[in-house]
Amino acid sequence: MRRKIITRRDFFKAGVALTVTMGFPFELKAERKKTRAVLIRDPDVIDRRGRLNARIIQQMLDKAITALFDKEDPMIESGVWRLLFKPSDTVGIKSNVWGPLPTPREVEDVLKSRIMDAGVPEGNIGIDDRGVLKNRIFLTSTALVNVRPLRTHHWAGVGGCIKNYIMFTPWPPFYHPDSCADLGAIWKLPIVKDKTRLNILLLLTPLFHGIGPHHFDTTYTWQYKGILIGTDPVSVDAVGLRILELKRLSYFGKEIPLKPPAKHIFVADVKYKLGTSNLREIELLKLGWMEDALI
Amino acid sequence: MLKEGVTEILKIITFFLTMLFIPLIPWTEETSKLLPRKIHGYKPHGKVETYNRQTIYEYMDGAGEIYLAYGFKELLVQRYQKVGEPEIIVEIFDMVSGKDAFGVFTHVQGRDDKEAGIGQNSEYRGGLLTFWKGRFFVSILTKAETVKAKRAVLEIGRTISKGIGIDGEKSGLLNYIREEDFFPKEIRYFHTHAILNYHYYLSGENILNLDEDTDAVLARYKDDGGYLLLVEYKKEEDARKALNNFINAYMPEITEKGIVQTEDGRWTVATAKQNFVIIVLDAITQIQASSKLEAIKGKLK
Repeated sequence: MRRKIITRRDFFKAGVALTVTMGFPFELKAERKKTRAVLIRDPDVIDRRGRLNARIIQQMLDKAITALFDKEDPMIESGVWRLLFKPSDTVGIKSNVWGPLPTPREVEDVLKSRIMDAGVPEGNIGIDDRGVLKNRIFLTSTALVNVRPLRTHHWAGVGGCIKNYIMFTPWPPFYHPDSCADLGAIWKLPIVKDKTRLNILLLLTPLFHGIGPHHFDTTYTWQYKGILIGTDPVSVDAVGLRILELKRLSYFGKEIPLKPPAKHIFVADVKYKLGTSNLREIELLKLGWMEDALI
Repeated sequence: MLKEGVTEILKIITFFLTMLFIPLIPWTEETSKLLPRKIHGYKPHGKVETYNRQTIYEYMDGAGEIYLAYGFKELLVQRYQKVGEPEIIVEIFDMVSGKDAFGVFTHVQGRDDKEAGIGQNSEYRGGLLTFWKGRFFVSILTKAETVKAKRAVLEIGRTISKGIGIDGEKSGLLNYIREEDFFPKEIRYFHTHAILNYHYYLSGENILNLDEDTDAVLARYKDDGGYLLLVEYKKEEDARKALNNFINAYMPEITEKGIVQTEDGRWTVATAKQNFVIIVLDAITQIQASSKLEAIKGKLK
């Protein structure tokens, strides 16, 4: 029997607009247990001069993680972090150095500090992006924290938590054909498989539109002042993507589809079983300031 | 008559000079001479960085795929700084041929309708200038767009363009289309399936057998928003095979006229002539689809 080739027409047959990223011509399994993601926002996390407030970032992360794991007492300093890391862990913080919109140093510092509070020695914590395959900490890690800003991406549609692990591959082009559809496969590589304790998608100043490889244009960033976290990178990316779509709708006054569609998020779900991309199956907890939260 | 003849001779001389000169420009050392030493108070900061096809991912993830989909050979990067002003990053991509420098430009174009007037085609918006000239695609970016930074970005661009000197040749495929029929910013020249899917998602698989040896143009019609896809293969046999593959995967219910109505109510028609495959996608009516196909077919000698 001949293998079915998916074409543009299959999207039409499935009744979904090709360009609407929430659609994919495969059935998602129903009745799955809901996966949880936490969105927290604070109006003061960025000051008038555009500087980040590290103290507020720490508070936001503490609160969000406490809610994520259903703990009731966020006041026990660093207590919730001890649920995530053991003193014997070797922890890699997978950051992102993309020039115009990198993972801010303040966020990296807070994470390192909190992981140390959980008892992990400083020498067993590494922060890296493009050098992860040469970094002793990452090569021997027992735990990973995945942290990066959310942005539209020229080749993948969006750059989020799933895509942030591309640097764990010795030859990224292998995962890039068809607009990065198979990025979910990276998460099955031994260097990362089952190690990620936390996915943190920064929505402090997300980029919601761009054209071309450089893709960055300050016209299309806004101060959302949010942080989105979860243990499932697919659900975190799916919620982030939805926020970008809603922002685009609000900004342009009409639906301007992402180009290319961020189909790697859905492929990570349906093909690689990495997590949940269907918003109906995601329990989104919203904490803090919710003015113009969009979602 | 005499004037036309002289013009033709000049064109031929220019072509041979181009062929003579282009391969002789040594990379890096010569290319770095294109970089200005000082522009409006901006000075080079740090060493010139170079990347090739194997190392481009050390510089840019994801976006590197675009250049690899064309004939990219090497990239030169130089940063410029000025006290109190945002940094400027200059990237000069050696695409080996004018066709591929033009191709990359057509892939990234569409940020603005206005022409910045630098190189053979250019765009400036939001602190980013892109242009192509000769065999080079050039990108100049300031991290924040201030008045001074913008002025410097444009001046650096003009200086580099002047230094490149010789113009590059666009793809000959463009001779088969009437450019005025299409949105000018939506004419794309490329080789591979990945770039086609970026602009027009056809299939997750390479159903047209596109590769680095195929030349293709995707252009969007002004009148109905449909698309023309014109692909040139090395051999006539390759074109026939690709057409059959496309028909089997995309339009298996094809009529004798080679046309189908797709699920969105629009019309797609495809044919092969010589070593070309011509596909008109998303035409509003059957007649429009067929007449557009015939118009292109008629231009292929």
